[in-house]
Amino acid sequence: MASIVLSNVDKVYAGGVKAVNGLNLEIKDGEFMVLVGPSGCGKSTALRMIAGLEDISGGEISIGDRVVNHLPPKDRDIAMVFQNYALYPHMTVEENLAFGLKLRKMPKAEIQKRVNEAAKMLGLEQYLKRKPAALSGGQRQRVAMGRAIVREPQAFLMDEPLSNLDAKLRVSMRASLNQLHERLGVTTVYVTHDQVEAMTLGDRVCVLRDGFLQQVDTPQNLFDRPVNLFVAGFMGSPAMNFAYADLVRDGSGAAVSFAGFKLPVPDSTFTDKPGLDRYVGKRVILGIRPSDFEDSVAANGSSGGWARIPVTANVTEELGSEINVLFTIDAPPVEHKDTVAAAHDGDEEEVALPLTGDKSLWTARVNARSHVRPGQSLELVIDTHNLHFFDVESGLAIGHEANVGR
Amino acid sequence: MSSTAPAPGGTIAAGSADIVETAKAPRQLGPSPKMAIGFLAPALILLVAWVIYPIVYSIWRSLFGSNDSDFVGLSNYGAIFTDSSTLTTIRNNIIWVVVAPLVVTTLGLIFAVMTERIRWATAFKLILFMPMAVSLLAAGVVFRLVYEQDPDKGVANAIITTVHDAFASSAGFPGARPRENDQAPAALQGGAVVTKGATTLVPLVGINPQTLASAAQAGQPPADGGTVWLDVVRGGGGAVNQIDPQEKALAGLTVEALSGGKVVATATTADDGTYHFPGLTKGSYSVRLPADNFKAPFGGLTWLGPTLITPAIIGAYIWVWAGFAMVLISAGLAGIPRDALEAARIDGATEWQVFRRITVPLLSPVLLVVFVTMIINVLKVFDLVFIIAPGSVQPQANVIALEMWRVSFGGGGNQGLGSALAIFLLILVLPFMFFNIRRFRRDEG
Repeated sequence: MASIVLSNVDKVYAGGVKAVNGLNLEIKDGEFMVLVGPSGCGKSTALRMIAGLEDISGGEISIGDRVVNHLPPKDRDIAMVFQNYALYPHMTVEENLAFGLKLRKMPKAEIQKRVNEAAKMLGLEQYLKRKPAALSGGQRQRVAMGRAIVREPQAFLMDEPLSNLDAKLRVSMRASLNQLHERLGVTTVYVTHDQVEAMTLGDRVCVLRDGFLQQVDTPQNLFDRPVNLFVAGFMGSPAMNFAYADLVRDGSGAAVSFAGFKLPVPDSTFTDKPGLDRYVGKRVILGIRPSDFEDSVAANGSSGGWARIPVTANVTEELGSEINVLFTIDAPPVEHKDTVAAAHDGDEEEVALPLTGDKSLWTARVNARSHVRPGQSLELVIDTHNLHFFDVESGLAIGHEANVGR
Repeated sequence: MSSTAPAPGGTIAAGSADIVETAKAPRQLGPSPKMAIGFLAPALILLVAWVIYPIVYSIWRSLFGSNDSDFVGLSNYGAIFTDSSTLTTIRNNIIWVVVAPLVVTTLGLIFAVMTERIRWATAFKLILFMPMAVSLLAAGVVFRLVYEQDPDKGVANAIITTVHDAFASSAGFPGARPRENDQAPAALQGGAVVTKGATTLVPLVGINPQTLASAAQAGQPPADGGTVWLDVVRGGGGAVNQIDPQEKALAGLTVEALSGGKVVATATTADDGTYHFPGLTKGSYSVRLPADNFKAPFGGLTWLGPTLITPAIIGAYIWVWAGFAMVLISAGLAGIPRDALEAARIDGATEWQVFRRITVPLLSPVLLVVFVTMIINVLKVFDLVFIIAPGSVQPQANVIALEMWRVSFGGGGNQGLGSALAIFLLILVLPFMFFNIRRFRRDEG
């Protein structure tokens, strides 16, 4: 096991496309680091550079205390799990698992022992004599994991290993991955575009965009304290709601007003976000997580001091345990480049139909007891302690420690 | 193929059956068998006329002698295995089948893998594939020239002699010799020129003075050595065995001093033909010019001679077909999952191990198809042998297909034996055809 350190790593492809730009990242020994971002953000490239499958155009990567820039993959002592498993189709499961060990000229008995251990751990014992073609997707995935485990490498690299599985299997494999990491404690770098995977798996999550590092932090911190509009919009599902708002202070205290609503801003927010008071009287971008809403009826009592806004539900998505209420507010949608980038996950050009005109479509996640139906009016309460404020120009979160002085 | 005549009603789902009934369509989808036969008939007639009938007639004809009323039974087949010239053709065919498909497939694989990682790969592939666009007859003519004996005409020998001369110098004067009379101071002894008695002058003849036009004039013999020169004056004149002003030196020859049959000193003639033995003590020596000085220059290999003719023609065949194999194999290579190769690299494989243990096994279906196709192709080889082998070595280069033609139409006049050879060839090819067809069918299934 070892730490992995990337310092000022660049990747420039032929034609001058810069896929990774000055990436600095320290992955601690035994840590589970998730690289997340929309398609084309450079996360896979970064992983492949750590693996040695791509040349490093600039900067330095070290695994343990060795600089590995010019080491071929075989000498880096890492194992990788690929998106489409990359099993050797002409070998049985057993041979697939043993291949890397045989190449290292390990004694037969030791190979057998390790293969059997891994097969037992992953529940593959009865499939050892089968070829990959005779396995289901989940089983192939486990073989791919096993091939990495038997090597007992310094680090695991995983390139979207769950994205070819169906939704249910993905959830259970996610749990298995978590257990596996707990048990083996091997440094792991995990690439995904799925922010749910990122949140659930990572000890820390690194958000990338267009080759630039946006924020590295624990999942909860990313969720609670996003550094900019992009991270705020990308992490969390449904995505954070944004609106242009005016921050004002009058006799009854500070408040933020948008689309005809006026939400009080508690004093604690100003102490939490140093520099926010400089924005009083100015325009900011307000962000509210869908989970910070609640139906005032369903929330009766527990919403003391929360602000209330009356809205009309346009669409409701009933998920059983909760309901996503989509409603329009009378404010133009925020067209900041960061929110657009976060919403457009990759190649899909237009995500939402432009049915709302120049109004913004917001989402609130309310308790299933609310029983709200489309077209109904309801009163939402908002936890005003969790309001997010962003600079209109730069899109940076106001008062985030990383942004102080920027 | 099987979709041309679907089983009547068999595959219609239950839900769609009543739709068919309400539309009052015929119970069977697709055209009627009668119509199918109508469409197939032209192809069938042509197939029978041009494939089935000739095969059957060849079998029938092979049972007769050169005269088609002269029934001989199976003795034509017996002749194939007893006649020494047909046995040579069979031996040659075996050499072909063993060597050519293997080399073609291996070269194709190497080219395909190499072109994966170079720039201008398409141009390279195009050039390698080009011989396929040339008719085999034209390729034969080209290689007839390539294998020409004279290095000035045949590129194969030009290359070989150039390489040979780069390592073994061929400086010397082939044909140079002493005069053959008693007055001559030197005489031939087993290819070498040895002086008689105590002389250091070695006059030689046998070279056209014109070839030495640029050589220096022969110099007077030094005290510790002598002179080797061409003792001929152009246009006549000059004294025999003496160095005359117009006479040219022979430079670069090895000269040995002999004492009692043993070499005691060695020297090389300078530009003016003189040589020195500086360290030699006074005494009586004879001077020898070893035979190496007079060897004929290396003229390359006799490609079109009886020993090398089959390898030479196989070389031409490989030139034609390696590009074809490469294109097929590169197509197969494109179908190999990149991830598996990368996974192997991360698993600790060197590039060679990746190639040996991942690429080749995954390519094996394609390699097998190329290999078997080549075997079929090689068994039938005819035109290259016919064109490249000169008439005099044709018996040594002969293959079954050529022998078949030769016996039937090319002067043999025995179409019974020719038919027997044709059937023999067909029997050799059939197993490989079946193999390939079964493979294709499995791939489709």
